[in-house]
Amino acid sequence: MNRAFRLSLGHAVFIVAFVGLWEFMSARGILDPTFFGRPSGIVAYLWRGFVADKNLWKDLFYTILAATIAFWGGSVAAVFVGLLFAMLPRLHKACEPYLTLLNSMPRIALAPLFLLWFGLGIGSKIAVAVSLTFFIVLSSTVAGIKGVNSDHLILSRALGATPSQIFFKVTLPSAVPIIFSGLRLGLVYSLLGVVGAELLAAEHGLGQVLAYLQSTFDMDGVMALLLLLVLLGLSITVVMNWIEHRLLVWQ
Amino acid sequence: MLQQLMSANSAIELRDLTMRFGSQTTSSVLAVDRVSFSLAPREFVSLIGPSGCGKTTILNLLTGLLTEPPEGDVRVLGKKPTAGNPDIAYMLARDSLLPWRTTLENAAYGMEVRGLPRSERETRARELLKQVGLGDFADKYPKALSHGMRQRCALARTFALDSPVLLMDEPFGALDAQTKLTLEDVLMKLWSEHQKTVVFVTHDLAEAIALSDRVIVMSARPGRIVADVPIDLPRPRSVRKLQADHRFHDLYAQLWGLLEQGVAGSE
Repeated sequence: MNRAFRLSLGHAVFIVAFVGLWEFMSARGILDPTFFGRPSGIVAYLWRGFVADKNLWKDLFYTILAATIAFWGGSVAAVFVGLLFAMLPRLHKACEPYLTLLNSMPRIALAPLFLLWFGLGIGSKIAVAVSLTFFIVLSSTVAGIKGVNSDHLILSRALGATPSQIFFKVTLPSAVPIIFSGLRLGLVYSLLGVVGAELLAAEHGLGQVLAYLQSTFDMDGVMALLLLLVLLGLSITVVMNWIEHRLLVWQ
Repeated sequence: MLQQLMSANSAIELRDLTMRFGSQTTSSVLAVDRVSFSLAPREFVSLIGPSGCGKTTILNLLTGLLTEPPEGDVRVLGKKPTAGNPDIAYMLARDSLLPWRTTLENAAYGMEVRGLPRSERETRARELLKQVGLGDFADKYPKALSHGMRQRCALARTFALDSPVLLMDEPFGALDAQTKLTLEDVLMKLWSEHQKTVVFVTHDLAEAIALSDRVIVMSARPGRIVADVPIDLPRPRSVRKLQADHRFHDLYAQLWGLLEQGVAGSE
């Protein structure tokens, strides 16, 4: 038996024991299911939601859709603005105080305003998520471009590289790893922004379901939703790791 | 006419070169003071001197990277220095390999910047990698290479440009003693095959003697020429074998005295 297998076996044993103990304590009344739910109830809820009634698919779809749109929109805009700042340092300097101001605001506090502006549909939660993702990706893009190795610039200039050659052959590729770590964080935050906005008010979405379940004291449902969000966040990380591995073989 | 004739005879010519930094301000620093020397085509000349003597400044000037105009006259193959002059290949102390490019792509980088067609630069990069002993590492990324191998790749990138003039700024300064000797021999081999004019800046006297046709000794700031010593050791040379040659050690002693004099003179 190799080490990796023994390790995953260990994790499996721990999780089974943990869930078993939880179920046992709930059944014996030591742990109050009104506050903590119970594993069998969570499984039953997920079964109803995804297999029997199938009502959760729609909410899952809306949450993923909104997070994806917000991530792409926010990131593309941020990388674009970041590159613009790199080319026009004076524009960057002029904009910096306002960006700092906006970035200091707890963005989730904008949700009520966005709800008023964009309504209960998908628009308001995308706006909240973009307001989070944009600044994270922007600051990593700017940091990545500033972090370029000066030796590479000297060498390229001595070779007679034009400004656009320097930008595409040196500055941009050297910024990719830092931009990418910003994108990874940006994706996690776009999910956060979407779920946060949905908690407040939304037509569809996992956050809205979660708020409803909490208000009706359906703890099995609440726990099931939290589990779902964990799995969602986890798959984002796995996908981003895979892309990063493919993109940055040289690191 | 006379000017052109003189320029035609020398690959590099400096006449009464004087450089000040911060010349617009009151606290200007005299970096290089009335330096004159010239290199014949295919000559290998080392510039040696204490740090701050302006060796690197002179190289940067020849490369066209300096923004402040100097006093005096400087010519590279008869032309004033300009950034990106295709007659010049420049090599720095640090290898400056681009980490996202393979060894082959790094060796071809200079040619790529200078707009050579893809097929040509790939053929030439492969050929040069073979000459520096990296033929089997063409597809590796720099992270997989040792310091010595990275500097071999930088040598390949420099020679692949096929520029008649090479400017080298302590290219082996960051290597351990053994690796340095090996790479010096690699450089000697490349140089005799490719027939380039080389200005080699170093603070290592043994290296300067082993490689050069002439060694120019400079004083501490402001940099002046203390001596211009021809090295009459026979070629082709093996840097490793020279270590046991008594003439090599005589030259070392002679130049060491001059170098000490240059340091003392400024104190």
